[in-house]
Amino acid sequence: MKRWLDRVAVRRSLALLALVIVWEALSRLGILNPFYVPAPSAVAKVLGALFADGQIWQHLDATFTAALAGLTAGLALGIALGFAAALTPLLAELLEPVMILLNAIPRVILAPLFVIWLGIELASKIALALVLVAVLVFFAVYSGIKEVDQRLVERVRTLGGGRRVLIREVYVPSVSAWVLGNLKVAVGFAFTGAVVGEFVASSRGLGYLLQFAQSTYNASLTIALIVLIMGFVLILFAAAERLERRLLRWRYA
Amino acid sequence: MLRVRGLTVGYGGEPVLEGIDLEVEAGKFAALLGPSGSGKTSVLRCVTGLMRPQSGRVELDVPPTEVGFLFQDDALLPWRTARQNVALGLRIRGAPRRAADEKADHWLALMGLEDFGGRFPRQLSGGQRKRVAIAQVLALEPKLLLMDEPFAALDAIVRTRVTQELLGWVEREHLSVLLVTHDLEEAISASDFVYVLSQGPRARIRARHEVHIARPRNVLESRRHPTFGPLLRRLWDDLSGEPASVDYAL
Ligand SMILES: Nc1ncnc2c1ncn2[C@@H]1O[C@H](COP(=O)(O)OP(=O)(O)OP(=O)(O)O)[C@@H](O)[C@H]1O
Ligand SMILES: [Mg+2]
Repeated sequence: MKRWLDRVAVRRSLALLALVIVWEALSRLGILNPFYVPAPSAVAKVLGALFADGQIWQHLDATFTAALAGLTAGLALGIALGFAAALTPLLAELLEPVMILLNAIPRVILAPLFVIWLGIELASKIALALVLVAVLVFFAVYSGIKEVDQRLVERVRTLGGGRRVLIREVYVPSVSAWVLGNLKVAVGFAFTGAVVGEFVASSRGLGYLLQFAQSTYNASLTIALIVLIMGFVLILFAAAERLERRLLRWRYA
Repeated sequence: MLRVRGLTVGYGGEPVLEGIDLEVEAGKFAALLGPSGSGKTSVLRCVTGLMRPQSGRVELDVPPTEVGFLFQDDALLPWRTARQNVALGLRIRGAPRRAADEKADHWLALMGLEDFGGRFPRQLSGGQRKRVAIAQVLALEPKLLLMDEPFAALDAIVRTRVTQELLGWVEREHLSVLLVTHDLEEAISASDFVYVLSQGPRARIRARHEVHIARPRNVLESRRHPTFGPLLRRLWDDLSGEPASVDYAL
């Protein structure tokens, strides 16, 4: 009995639903000012309208393209630099301080610079998403290699394995585990990069719409866009998690 | 087969071991006993070349590929199944996948793990992982086998069975073995001679005892051999530095 209540996803959804109901009730009772906090039903209406007139698609397209391109390029760059730095001490000396600096700052402050360098079109958004993701992935790979379980390295060595075998059997799998473990965070970062980039200067995208909603004091549209972005990121999270569980079967089996 | 001469080992400070001499002749089974922390693992690490001694030599009569090293902990590759872990050494030596897998299954079966080949290490118990690790090393059919407390994690029944299995294998194939153990009875019932290491730092070989029990041996029967009790008592004295308070002469 009530077994379905044991599932985390079910409990979380119920908690959210309860929150929305309370929110709606407070709005209807006139306790919340609709100018600042519009009712969930009003937000839903705005969301519906966004899709009904079809305007939303070009913005979704812009944001998704920037986020996914930034994610892909950031993963590739982070993995390549992480491996290179871990295998070449000189490169590590050069890269580490830059990466530590980039890691220490909120990297979104680079957005204006990318706009100046790359313009207000897609490129500057991709660049921001890329930098956010690449630094994260660099450290995941770099420390994944440096902190690889030495016992496993010794084991493979005493079985007769050389450098090639070590990379294939020990380094690549343990780095994949680190990267996949960070994949969800990377997806979040990619969207942050894309949306903030659009927020700063753009002519399309969810960030652009958000900026527009804010400048016109349109709280319903703002909340509707936030909900929309949440929804998409959650879907991507679920996909990332499935991928992680599939590829790291040995960890979840 | 293996000669260690004047081995001194340290990790920066005072040497852990100093001037260790020991020898394992071809086809002989040697045990190395010693208090915890005296440096038994360090000796094996020097023999396998994982560690460089401060001074002294290690001489092997076989190439390193003929040396099997069973580690004290049972770290297997977590992303490989039991079968893949066992097959790894064979694959490294160039065996085709099919042949390596078949051989791996054979060794897993000998270890009583025929149904576990497809499992990942974290789906196995500690003792099962240990047996996979044993199979991983034995599958390479080394000429010299170095083992670091291989049976500590096994229950009494499995332990006796695996030890007996191993002993049979060693006797048939005339392998040379250096076994590190805490277990005095295991040391006697399995080996031809027993080295005892003193308490470190600067641990030395304190004694070398021969075991006069004929082969082939039965692990359990050996314990009833008339020389077993007295030898056990002498090892006890060597290790504790004082006469045995328990009378082991059965
Ligand atoms: N990497 C290391 N760095 C510094 N000291 C070490 C290191 N490895 C081992 N030691 C020290 O060297 C000594 C010998 O260690 P070793 O592992 O060889 O002992 P052991 O006889 O195998 O002990 P046990 O029976 O507990 O396995 C110990 O005192 C230990 O603290
Ligand atoms: Mg040890």
